[in-house]
Amino acid sequence: MAKIGVFVCHCGENIASMVDTGKLVTTISEHPGVAFSSEYKYFCSDPGQETVKKAIRENNLTGVVVAACSPRMHEQTFRKACAEAGLNPYMLELANIREQCSWVHTDKIQATDKAIEITRSLVEKVKRNNNLQPISVPVTRRAMVIGGGVAGIQAALDIASAGREVILVEREPSIGGHMAQLSETFPTLDCSQCILTPRMVEAVQHPNITVMTYSEVEEVDGYIGNFTVKVRQKARYVKMETCTGCGDCIQKCPVKKIPSDFECGLGNRTAIYTPFAQAVPNVPVIDRDRCTYFKNGKCKICQKTCQIDSIDFEQQDRMVSLEVGAIVVATGFQVQNTALYGEYGYGRYKDVITGLHFERLASASGPTAGKILRPSDGKEPETIVFLQCAGSRDAAKGVKYCSKICCMYTAKHAMLYAHKVHHGKTRIFYMDIRAAGKGYDEFTRRAIEEDQAGYIRGRVSKLYEENGKLIVRGVDTLLGKPVEVEADMVVLATAMIPQPDAKEFAKRIGIGYDEYGFYNEAHLKLRPVETATAGIYLAGACQSPKDIPDSVAQASAAAAKVLGLFSKEQLEREPVVASVSDSTCAGCWGCVIACPYNAIDRRDITDRNGNLIKRVASVNPGLCQGCGTCVSFCRSNSIDLAGFTEKQIFAEVMGL
Amino acid sequence: MGIQEQYRNEAAELLSSGAVKLVIGYGGGSTPDRRRPVFVRSAEEVSRLVLDSYCVANLSAYLISEGLLSDGKNVAVFLKPDGIRSVNILSAEAQVNPDQVVILGFNIEGEQTTPLPGRKAADYAPLMESLRSSGLSPELQREADRLEQMSAVERFDYWKEQFAKCIKCYACRQVCPMCYCRRCIVDVNQPQWINTSSHTLGNFEWNIVRAFHLAGRCVACGGCDRACPVNIPLRLINHRMSKETLDIFGHFPGESADQKPVLATFRQDDPETFIL
Repeated sequence: MAKIGVFVCHCGENIASMVDTGKLVTTISEHPGVAFSSEYKYFCSDPGQETVKKAIRENNLTGVVVAACSPRMHEQTFRKACAEAGLNPYMLELANIREQCSWVHTDKIQATDKAIEITRSLVEKVKRNNNLQPISVPVTRRAMVIGGGVAGIQAALDIASAGREVILVEREPSIGGHMAQLSETFPTLDCSQCILTPRMVEAVQHPNITVMTYSEVEEVDGYIGNFTVKVRQKARYVKMETCTGCGDCIQKCPVKKIPSDFECGLGNRTAIYTPFAQAVPNVPVIDRDRCTYFKNGKCKICQKTCQIDSIDFEQQDRMVSLEVGAIVVATGFQVQNTALYGEYGYGRYKDVITGLHFERLASASGPTAGKILRPSDGKEPETIVFLQCAGSRDAAKGVKYCSKICCMYTAKHAMLYAHKVHHGKTRIFYMDIRAAGKGYDEFTRRAIEEDQAGYIRGRVSKLYEENGKLIVRGVDTLLGKPVEVEADMVVLATAMIPQPDAKEFAKRIGIGYDEYGFYNEAHLKLRPVETATAGIYLAGACQSPKDIPDSVAQASAAAAKVLGLFSKEQLEREPVVASVSDSTCAGCWGCVIACPYNAIDRRDITDRNGNLIKRVASVNPGLCQGCGTCVSFCRSNSIDLAGFTEKQIFAEVMGL
Repeated sequence: MGIQEQYRNEAAELLSSGAVKLVIGYGGGSTPDRRRPVFVRSAEEVSRLVLDSYCVANLSAYLISEGLLSDGKNVAVFLKPDGIRSVNILSAEAQVNPDQVVILGFNIEGEQTTPLPGRKAADYAPLMESLRSSGLSPELQREADRLEQMSAVERFDYWKEQFAKCIKCYACRQVCPMCYCRRCIVDVNQPQWINTSSHTLGNFEWNIVRAFHLAGRCVACGGCDRACPVNIPLRLINHRMSKETLDIFGHFPGESADQKPVLATFRQDDPETFIL
């Protein structure tokens, strides 16, 4: 005989303000099988959980329904409470009367009726719940970090320093990411390369880190603790093992006028190249599409130049399959280009550049060796206009969010310019100055007060070229007057956007993303570095626009999560797994194909002499994630999911 | 020599040489324009075989009789192009071994019955390609269009009226080569998802589940439609589902023996029109 306890939570006012919890308790207490019911302000709190435990013990409850928030929020909390009171944790159900009821309704009577229905349906379900035991699976204590920018490097170093193996995968020929492109960094103005390159070297030399550059993740299979990742190591055409990085081949390569991505097109590179002089590893790659030999079958000058015979035109892409237990995604961001802006010349004007271009101009290792020279004629600009929020916070450009870093780097740019060109004049059009962060507001004040950064609050409506000058027309909203500035160069603080292939990549590895393509965390506030896919974590700007301190902090947080996972040899997994009824399985193998986790195999049923009777589908509980895809696919209804059995779901539906 | 004679000889040869243990074909029926399946096990019996334009049933359904192919011996079967497609699907879904099926293929155009060259399902690949390019039946589409033009309420009423005739005899299931489950979902009663009663809910539940289970698998042989004793136009439901899977996923059922089931596969570029 079922003895179900129902606990109705007020969730402060979240539920109680829209649902008549008293009525819910009285109504449900009369439902067959309900032996105990009560209400409380916060059942998730310590006294709340104690009430649940006490009721279980005193009434010998066989099942518990907590009518409260979503199971994603507090299922674990109450399962634990049940277990502590001696009840199997899987005899608990959460009736979601918050997200799916009180939050979305405005009529108290209707909301209360709905809450009663939801709770009743879960009571019917829990009556049919079975005791389940967790499944133990081994953990491969090796991590993969995807993306070798500052976030990826930090995560890899933290995991490796704690004694675990890490594979760091980077698709570019060198690790370093965007940070390697930056000049000085706010708010301390220390040189980006000076603080990053030692980290790059540390990563590549660390005994626990395997760095795979020029490599891309193609496929992720498996589940937390047991992923199999297929990585394509792109052909470099240069032997990693022998190349000393002397650079002779680069010197001699006859194809010299290829716009360099690293220099944002402001400088050139050769067909055999390293993206920048401090590249790690310092081994060049041959750009197959631009190489004369690959195009015409003649040249091979690099091969002739190389004294240690490290050029290999026969190299092929190599597929490597790697076993890892956790994955940190740190794939970074891109900068929106200037071509998006009709009002700013659609990218036609050479001297209208992005903030990242400016970083290269200001960088000592950049194409101008740190001199601020305008791209069109190489002259030193006398007046620079900076436009903040060029794309960000602008629904019309598809970017509703704040890119977060632009206020700070624009102030930095104004400062660097003032330090390099003493008579130079800056005008910064801004909407708001967002300088929340340690030392950030002080930094922008310094730009204004010490380096004469000229801030104008307002937007720019038009930008055009006239007599070699860029005419910037906007409005000063504080004075309420139109302004026109003659500029030599214009820097657009264009939005920070996800990588162009971010969505496709997310689908490939099985994580969620938002409307823009930034990756979703499991919970914005409480689980900010985990994805909804167990065992896959996020670090850096692939999740949302971030500056260096935030990226590094998140990377270390992700590393802590990985190390937490690796602290045990075995992992306890939820026993919510599918099972096949041998007698009714028709062996069509639709489930085998449909299963996203490759958890279903074919199994022979034989008689005692070994003669085959039939072949049926069989679920590997270690691999099954309990998603239920096979259950819904199976035409003969031969697959059932523990914790969500047909009988339970049917009772739940009929309880409505 | 007519096609009937030619195929009788062929059947005799297959049987006497031991190439097949059984020939599934058509024989005379209870009226001059009806044919019934005959199962010929020796060369002497081949005179029972009839082949003419009345031979419309899709005999591939007999291939899934329990145990028929488990001894590893071959079976010959008379099949129209739709039946060949059925064999492909049954092969793809591991219900028959295509190597064990010898196909005596034929086509019916008006009164004419013509032989189709090829003996194994794989031999018909070019035919499958031409069938795919000619698309779904335009006649069925015309009938379906008539229903499409109705409002949702009108259409619901139409089907309510049609399904109200359903007596749950499951003849549609028995005749269908795709219905090979040893236990049909309708026979599950713990819990009973599908109501077997003849009220609107029960009527819809069975017929909609049947339509979904055939999505991307129906070859439009028309067997269910002909078998239905109360004349529910089941062909239109099947056609609608076929159109859907063809338009959305480019899936033409039974194209080949290694075609993956459309509802169990996922491609990066699958349209996601169903996500609001």
